Amino acid sequence: MENRNLSREEIEKLFKAKDLFHRELSKISFDEKIKILIQLQKIANGVRPSLKRDQRVWKF
Amino acid sequence: MEKTIKVVNKIQKEGLIKKYAMGGGIATIFYVEPILTYDLDIFFIPSKKERTLTILSPIYKWLKEKGYKTYKEHIVIEGIPVQFIPVYNELIEDAVKEAVEIKYKNTKTLVIRAEHLIAIMLQTFRPKDKERIIKILDEAEINMNHLMEILQKYNLKERFEHFRGWYYGE
Repeated sequence: MENRNLSREEIEKLFKAKDLFHRELSKISFDEKIKILIQLQKIANGVRPSLKRDQRVWKF
Repeated sequence: MEKTIKVVNKIQKEGLIKKYAMGGGIATIFYVEPILTYDLDIFFIPSKKERTLTILSPIYKWLKEKGYKTYKEHIVIEGIPVQFIPVYNELIEDAVKEAVEIKYKNTKTLVIRAEHLIAIMLQTFRPKDKERIIKILDEAEINMNHLMEILQKYNLKERFEHFRGWYYGE
């Protein structure tokens, strides 16, 4: 029972840390976020090249 | 993206639109960690009172004269597919009117407030809207009083409470 409680606490800590990480990422500058977005588009494009997504990656 | 924003600002300066604000995925990114999106939604209040899709014609004509090409339902401005969406209801019009001014690099632009974004997404309520509502609620700083006022005004409070109850068990 004790172990299960401990484990739950640890999991809660883990999820709290995860939430904090996402919240911190949400606070980076808009400029940085757009740079990350383009990287995301490239990754998505690489994962599904058959959809010809390369046309959709922002080019500027 | 700065060049794209400059072109949109020019469209406004030329009087082709009265006011605009960024919405959709890009506006969401302003408030939360980056999420995947491919286009830039520009919600705008038309210069004329006409509220049909023909109000898009002068914008597209002006852009095509500048050499920009259409791609599906978008027009590609400086490498970014942009969709111009005329305000189609009172909520969207309020959202554009109350949009917050921000700076992208050295260029001023407007982005729809997080509270209005939530309300708009509650109206459209597609699966991706639901995901984005959760992200905004979890990561952005929300003025809950203002959000509740908006939801009350547009009859969205019940949907919001139901949605919040479903996801957060409240």
